[in-house]
Amino acid sequence: MGKSEAGVNRRKFLTAAAASSAAAVAAPQATSEANAAPLPTHALPPSAAQMEAEIGEPQLIPAAVTSAGPGARPGSDFMVDVLRALDIDYVATNPASSCRGLHESINSYAMNKKPELLTATHEEIATAMAHGYAKVSNRPMGLLFHGTVGIQHATMAFYNAWADRAPMLVMSGNHMDAAHRPPGVPTTHAAQDPLALIRDFTKWDDQPQSLQACAEAMMRAHKIAMTPPYGPVAISLDAHLQEGFTDASLKIPKLTRVSPPSADIEALKEVARMLVGAQNPVIVVDRGARSHRFQPLLVELAELLGAPVVDQMGRQNFPSHHPLNGTDRARGTIGAADVILGLELADFWGVVNSYSDVAEPKQGRRLKDSVKLVSINSRDVFMKANYQDFQRFQDVDLAIAADAEASLPGLIEMVKSAITPEFRSAADKRKTTFGAAGIKQRERLLSVDATYGWDASPISSARLSAELWAVIKEHDWALVSRDVRLSNWPHRIWKFEKPWQFIGDSGGAGQGYGLGAAVGAALAHREHKRLVVNIQGDGDMMYGPGGIWTAAHHNIPLLTIMHNNRAYHQEVMHVQRVGNWRDRGVGRASIGTTIENPHINFAMMAKSMGVEGIGPIGDPKDLGPALRRAVQIAKAGEPVLVDVLTQPR
Amino acid sequence: MKKLLISFALAALSATAAQAADAARGKEIFMKVGCYQCHGTVGQGANTGPKLAPEPLALESFVAFVRNAAATQMPAFSANMVSDAEMADIHAYLSSIKPPPAFKDIPLLNNP
Repeated sequence: MGKSEAGVNRRKFLTAAAASSAAAVAAPQATSEANAAPLPTHALPPSAAQMEAEIGEPQLIPAAVTSAGPGARPGSDFMVDVLRALDIDYVATNPASSCRGLHESINSYAMNKKPELLTATHEEIATAMAHGYAKVSNRPMGLLFHGTVGIQHATMAFYNAWADRAPMLVMSGNHMDAAHRPPGVPTTHAAQDPLALIRDFTKWDDQPQSLQACAEAMMRAHKIAMTPPYGPVAISLDAHLQEGFTDASLKIPKLTRVSPPSADIEALKEVARMLVGAQNPVIVVDRGARSHRFQPLLVELAELLGAPVVDQMGRQNFPSHHPLNGTDRARGTIGAADVILGLELADFWGVVNSYSDVAEPKQGRRLKDSVKLVSINSRDVFMKANYQDFQRFQDVDLAIAADAEASLPGLIEMVKSAITPEFRSAADKRKTTFGAAGIKQRERLLSVDATYGWDASPISSARLSAELWAVIKEHDWALVSRDVRLSNWPHRIWKFEKPWQFIGDSGGAGQGYGLGAAVGAALAHREHKRLVVNIQGDGDMMYGPGGIWTAAHHNIPLLTIMHNNRAYHQEVMHVQRVGNWRDRGVGRASIGTTIENPHINFAMMAKSMGVEGIGPIGDPKDLGPALRRAVQIAKAGEPVLVDVLTQPR
Repeated sequence: MKKLLISFALAALSATAAQAADAARGKEIFMKVGCYQCHGTVGQGANTGPKLAPEPLALESFVAFVRNAAATQMPAFSANMVSDAEMADIHAYLSSIKPPPAFKDIPLLNNP
C-alpha cells in the first residue's frame, strides 16, 4: 500500500466514523497531501510523521504515524513481532474496536500462527483459559481485550489468576487522544487510566506511548509475570499505536530468562538443622509446583526426612498414594508435628489455628506454642494491599522470602549434610509407620465409606469418581478441576502420580473459572494427546457456558463431566446455617440458591454449540457406558460433555 | 439431677414419637429441612457432614445431638424448626435405608 493511499484511506475512515466537522476538515487536507508532487529524491524528504507534525493534525505521539511512508508498516505488525519474541503461542480474545489493529495484524501479518487467536465468547472465559493454560504449560497466554469493556468483563478472572499466581499477558486497547478518537461509543470506552481497575490484583501494568516503549513494556511485563510469584500483567495498547505506521528503526529487547528468587544458603542450613532436630517434622504445601520439577524434589525431601506431607492441593505437589501423603489425615498429622515446613502456603494461619463458623465464631491456636514453624514463600517477595488474599498474619520462627521450587534443591543438600544415622533410622521408621496407617485408612475409605450411597440417585461422589477412574486409568490422563466439591473422592481413588495430572483450583474462589480454565488447560495438554477430564460444577458452568463453543471451534479435546447438583450448593449450606442460628426455620434455604424449575439440560446445551452431549444421567447403572462412550469421543480429539445428576457433595 | 430428668423426658418423648414415626414422611422432612445438604440424600456422608445411615444413632442420641449440635460446625435444630415428631420421622427414614452392597461385590472399588 502506498503512502498516499494509506493516508487517504485512514482519513476516509475517520471521516465516516466520526461524522464530525473536525473530521470533515481533515479530509481535504489529506486529499491535497495525496495529490502533491513527489519530492526530489536527492533531498532528504520529511517523513510522513514530520509532514503530519508540520501541516497535518497535531500529533501527540510522534513515534507512530497515521500514513505509511517507504518501508513503513503497521504498528500492530511490530507488536506481533514482539509477541513472537516473547514466544507467545496463543492470544485469546473477544473482538473489539479498540484492539482491531493488533487483531488484524495477527490475522493477516502473523497469518494466525504464533500467535494464534482463540475466540472466546466472554473475556472472563478467555482469562480463565489463560489461567488454566499457564498452570499446565508454565507459559503465559496473551489476552487481547477491549479497554474498558473487556477489562471490566474479565475482572474477577484476573483476581482468580492473581490469587492463584497464574501468569498471563493482558493487552487491551484504548483511545487516549481525545482530539482524534472517534466520538460516541469509542470515546465512552476510552479511559485515562484503563488498567487502574485491575491494578490491585495484577503484578504490573503500563500504558506505553510509543512503539519502542511498547516493546520494552511487553518485555518487562513478561519478565515480571514469569518471576515468582507468578501473576497477571497488563499493557494498554493505544489504538493510535496499533493503527499507525512506523518507519522508525525499532528494537525488540531480547527475551529475558529469569532466575527465580532462591533461599539464602545460611537460612537453608538453619531450616535443615530444625528439620533434622525434629521428632515429627511435617511438610505442608499449597502452590508449591510451578513446574514439573517440583514434585520429585518434594518426594526426595519428604523421604529423606520421613516427613508426612499435607497437600493443600494448590497444584500437583505430591503423589496422592505416596506412603508419606497425609492429606486425608491432615488434622492428626499436623497436630503431631513439632516442626512444620510450610511451602508456598496461601494461609499459614489456617494451618496453625482453627476457626469455627458458628453463631459466635470460635478461633484459636490448635498447635502447641513449642511447635516450630518455617515458611518458604515467594508471596513474601511481592504483595499488595487492599484485597485480602494474603490472609491472616501468622508469626513463624523463620520466614524465607523465596520461591519454594527454586529453594528445594539447596534445602535437600543441606538436609543430606545434616542428617545423622540415628535420624535416618527414625525417618525410615516414621515412613513405614505412617505409610502402613495410610494404607489402612485408604482401605477403609474404599471398603466402607465409598460404598455408602453406592446405588443412590442422584449419583454419589464416590460412585462417580470410581466409574470415571475405571475408564481413564489406562490412558495418559489429567484432571483440570478441583475435586473438593466431590468430597475429594478422585484424589482418594485415582492415583495422581505425574506432575501434570492436577492443577489446583481458581485461587480467588470466584465462580466462572471452571470451564474456561479447563479449556485452556486442555489446549496445553493437546499436543501431548492426553485425556483431559474436567469435573464441572453446574453453577460455575452457567457463568461462562460459551467455553463449550470455544472448545468445539478450536478442536480442543476435553471430557467434561457435569457435577450437576442443581444448586449453588455452598450457598445453600450458608443460608441454612444462618437460618438455624436465628432459629427461624430452614425450609427456605433453597430460595435464591438452587438451580431448578426449570432444570438445565447441559447435554442439550453442549449439542447446541457443536459438542456431543450425553445425559442427563441419574441412574448410576447408566453411568459406566456413558463415560466409556465419552472417553472414545475425547480420545478421538473432540470435546464431549456428560451431564451427571449428582449428590450435593 | 436436672440432666437426668431431661434425659428421661427425652427418652419418653422419643419413645412415643418413635411409635408413630413414618419413614416416607421422614424422607420428605430430611430433604425439606436440608439434612441432605451436608449428609447426602441417603445419609451416606460427605466432606461436609458424617454418614448418618445405615445404622443411625439411637433415636435419643440422635435427637440430643441435633438439638445441641452447636458445639460442632453443624448448626443446631431447635424444636421450633424440627419437632420431636418430625425428628422421629427422620430417624425412621434413616433406619429404613438399606445397607450398601458389600465391598467384595463392587469390582470398581476392589481394583482401583
